Amino acid sequence: MNDLRVVGQSVVRIDGLEKVTGAAKYVDDLEFGPGLLYACIVESPVAHALIKKIDTRAAEALPGVVKVVTGADFPYKFGLYMKDRYIFANERVRFVGEQVAAVIAWDAKTAARAAALVNVTYEELPAIFNPCAALEKDAPLIHPDLGKYNYVPWFFPKANTNIAHWRKTRKGDIEKGFREADLVLEDTYTVPRYAHCAIETHAIVGLYDMSGRLTLWSASQSPFTQRNVIAESLAPLGITHKDVRVVTPYIGGGFGGKAGVSMEIMGAALATVVKGHPVKMMWSRAQEFYNTYQRQGVVAKIKMGVKKNGTITALEHTLYWDAGAYVEYGANVVNAAGLSATNPYKIDNIAIDSVCIYTNLPPGGPYRGFGYSEFSFGIESHITRAATALKMDPVAFRKRNAIKEGDLLPYGAPMNANGLAEAIDKVAAEIKWGVPEPARDPTKKIGKSLVLFWKAPAMPPNAASSAFLKFNEDASLNILISGMEIGQGLLTVMAQIASEILTVPVSKIRVETPDTDRNPYEWQTVGSHVTWGCGNAVKRAALDAREQIFALVQRVYCLEKDALYLEDEQVKCRTKADFVLPLRQFVIAGIQAEDHTYKGGPIMGRGVFMPEFASAIGDPETGQGGHPNVHYTTGAAGVILEVDTQTGKMKIRKAVLAVDAGKAINPDLVRGQIIGGLMQGFATVLYEDMRFSAKGKLLNPNFSDYKIPTALDTPDEVVPIIVETPQPDGPFGARGIAEHTMIPCAALIANALEDACGARITAMPVTAEKVALRLNQCSANA
Amino acid sequence: MNTCRIETPRTCAEASALLQALPDARVLAGGTDVVVRLKDQLIWPPLVEISRLAELHGMTEVDGWLRLGALSTWTEIERAALTARHADVLVEAAREVGSPQIRNRGTLGGNVANASPAGDSLPALIVLDAELELRGTQSTRRVAVAQFCCAPGKTVLAHDELIVAIWVPVRAGWRGAFVRLGQRAALAISKVSVAVRVLRADGIVQDSRITLGAVAPTVLRVPEAEAVLRGQRLSAAVMQAAAEVVCAAARPITDIRSNEPYRRAMCGELLQRALARLAEPTNPSDPSDPSDPSDKIT
Repeated sequence: MNDLRVVGQSVVRIDGLEKVTGAAKYVDDLEFGPGLLYACIVESPVAHALIKKIDTRAAEALPGVVKVVTGADFPYKFGLYMKDRYIFANERVRFVGEQVAAVIAWDAKTAARAAALVNVTYEELPAIFNPCAALEKDAPLIHPDLGKYNYVPWFFPKANTNIAHWRKTRKGDIEKGFREADLVLEDTYTVPRYAHCAIETHAIVGLYDMSGRLTLWSASQSPFTQRNVIAESLAPLGITHKDVRVVTPYIGGGFGGKAGVSMEIMGAALATVVKGHPVKMMWSRAQEFYNTYQRQGVVAKIKMGVKKNGTITALEHTLYWDAGAYVEYGANVVNAAGLSATNPYKIDNIAIDSVCIYTNLPPGGPYRGFGYSEFSFGIESHITRAATALKMDPVAFRKRNAIKEGDLLPYGAPMNANGLAEAIDKVAAEIKWGVPEPARDPTKKIGKSLVLFWKAPAMPPNAASSAFLKFNEDASLNILISGMEIGQGLLTVMAQIASEILTVPVSKIRVETPDTDRNPYEWQTVGSHVTWGCGNAVKRAALDAREQIFALVQRVYCLEKDALYLEDEQVKCRTKADFVLPLRQFVIAGIQAEDHTYKGGPIMGRGVFMPEFASAIGDPETGQGGHPNVHYTTGAAGVILEVDTQTGKMKIRKAVLAVDAGKAINPDLVRGQIIGGLMQGFATVLYEDMRFSAKGKLLNPNFSDYKIPTALDTPDEVVPIIVETPQPDGPFGARGIAEHTMIPCAALIANALEDACGARITAMPVTAEKVALRLNQCSANA
Repeated sequence: MNTCRIETPRTCAEASALLQALPDARVLAGGTDVVVRLKDQLIWPPLVEISRLAELHGMTEVDGWLRLGALSTWTEIERAALTARHADVLVEAAREVGSPQIRNRGTLGGNVANASPAGDSLPALIVLDAELELRGTQSTRRVAVAQFCCAPGKTVLAHDELIVAIWVPVRAGWRGAFVRLGQRAALAISKVSVAVRVLRADGIVQDSRITLGAVAPTVLRVPEAEAVLRGQRLSAAVMQAAAEVVCAAARPITDIRSNEPYRRAMCGELLQRALARLAEPTNPSDPSDPSDPSDKIT
């Protein structure tokens, strides 16, 4: 593959100019004319209650109000993996901020005023905000009807409890593993909830027209999943899949928060009651915090057995997830973690329990890392502590246990090819592991750490991708896909893949964001899988087009197909040096034969990719037997951290991350992901701190009180490193790397902090205050 | 759609008359506090927008006083030669406020009127012994900044009064420092702030002012800590002793931004850092020279 022309080049992103000039359109920029209506929801002020009565009369009487709807108007359930939600709360509310009713009005402020006039009578129920409390015997049930819900076959809910799913993974003999150990180390690690903090809040515009067609303009990572979930939910209204069209213009960040279906289903439902009028709903920043998805909190209990020589003999890892009021998507985060909570280590004896627990906090769901960041904090902290307890070098310890190709994964399938060892060595060299660094002044101390990470795309085994590729008269191309440009550079990478096969330059290829009427199917843009999945579909579409071209040339010119090749937008022949046929001469018009007739016609490639080897079905008690994950991407990261021992403030002097991209189709975009992922990860560990009241109300749903770092808080130096061990079934050997780059951050800080000043923090976030309090300065002075 | 009434008076008298006539009106200067608070409200009060009041603009030195128009922006304070010469500690506070955009809009008078316990101008103005010129429909009066705030968001300002100017006495030989801690390097409301100003002769402290921000309902001046410094050199032991006094004097609370023990301990830590900076030899060539950025607690 050394003769690649475009793949492997840092082509400038094709959506860049539009975005930097402010010309790119997002949902809120679209114009819908004077018929546009606005919707505002009525939110539950309590965390758990029965809805006794809803009085909408005052709201309906307000001039400018068009319609007021309540849960009774839409008694339909929805959900991606488990149908546990109503469009508007029916009978019961389960978190503060949940939608109970909505007002549609001629302007947004009237809708908001009217929403405040809707009078809802609640009968409060005891609420639960802690997953461990939710497991207690007489804990109130948040979903008394759990036993009747529909869900995917790889979930195991426990009826009449608050357990929505329990993923068990068992391998080897855990008791034997602990008996063989020279040291058994146990501790509990706590990770709180987090918000995605995308710049653009959720937005939906729905239009139900007189022909019965429901069009949605949605800020979404998942146009086809939205079409599917919404069509299924609204089926009682006579709406079918062909009637639902989802258009997704650019989005201002998703990070998982715009995957699946959250508030968008309300936009769809509301459109059906104001036929002919587009109706718009745009989340406020506060709503973005408490009524989309939050990253789930987790309490992780780890018990690890190790031998004196550094071999890990046993791992018991129990994860109690605070999954929130609804788990229609979040339960699969729990599932993914339960399959992989060993991190990239070969451990022969394991017992993982990943328990999805309902609480009366906002719904948990997908967030960049999909469970892996959460369990990484505990296990990577624990690994360093185990090594230190054995007086072993933590990096040598990690290398000794690092998983290799062919080693058995927790669920029994073999590990894929990977460059983990190379990543470890490169990061260790870059942070000068083992070489102490002097601090610049006596109040500061310096610590280092190195942490491993892995992640597999979490998706159903039949998550398919597809692509259409159309030639135009000038041999330029339009590629139609439904992989979503969410800032990662997908459009550019897809153009590069097609360009590589068809020799058409990237500048002559247009790839745009999806419209489900026009573009073919993609499951969702999540799990860092679209470069791989959608990339395979685009590559297949390009190969399909090339095959049509060669077949046509063979037919008309009687040249051996196998001797044909493409170069500089021309067909050439290895056995006939003077044969040159520019693509532009025939890709639409066809080739004129000697008898003056035309052969061929418009060249259109079609590509479909389905991971046909995947299966989600294993033994429910052990997880053995299936092949739920298509592959793992691995890597290592390291930091040099400076700690102010008085204020607790931490400054990252250097951050390094090496990820095995298989093949970096666009190295600059990979480096961009590494830098961005590290920043987002460091934000969660050093700054972000979600606070709830004792009644379950989020106290800081804004950027004044929920702090994310600014440019001034970035590390002094970030070194992105690309490792390339090809993924055999990836396009040009590529695999995904995007989520992975934030996963190691929390443990990096916790371990480097301990290296610097001996303090071990087992509950995220690791804020300056927590560090200062731990270092005892505060109590001494106070 | 609803509307908002905005008045744009040309003189202070006009502004005061408007305020008197509109009991629920709010004064709008830079808007960095007022607009943020109003933006999600469905009904806005009438706004009296004061940018056209010439008297509220500009900086001058008058009879031993530095007069800062109430509409002086943070950026103007950061850059002016007069503030560099006579209000070093205020310049340091100005640099810590918000972001460049906020410093371009936000005004000194607005920050004072907002009366936040965490407002960054207040500790600095109090160590400068600054006074406020307040003008209403009936009269003009002067109030010490130290006497201006009575509780979070509450001041002695009458509804018809405007802060016209901030007056800083010009005093030779004093040097000041302002240090703060936020959740991140910039754009963060202070968890704790400390302003200090010291007059020394031959290295011996003759007089000083020490204030703490964000650790009491209003900015706290700590005369007991000032007493510790009097007659002493700024040695490590003296700074430590003063730090212990401010930790004891602070009355912090635990809230969404910080915890009581941390705030208390940081009062002492920040005071020591501020004093340590003042203990270093001066750089008389350019007093406006920004301090070494590595000095900042980030």
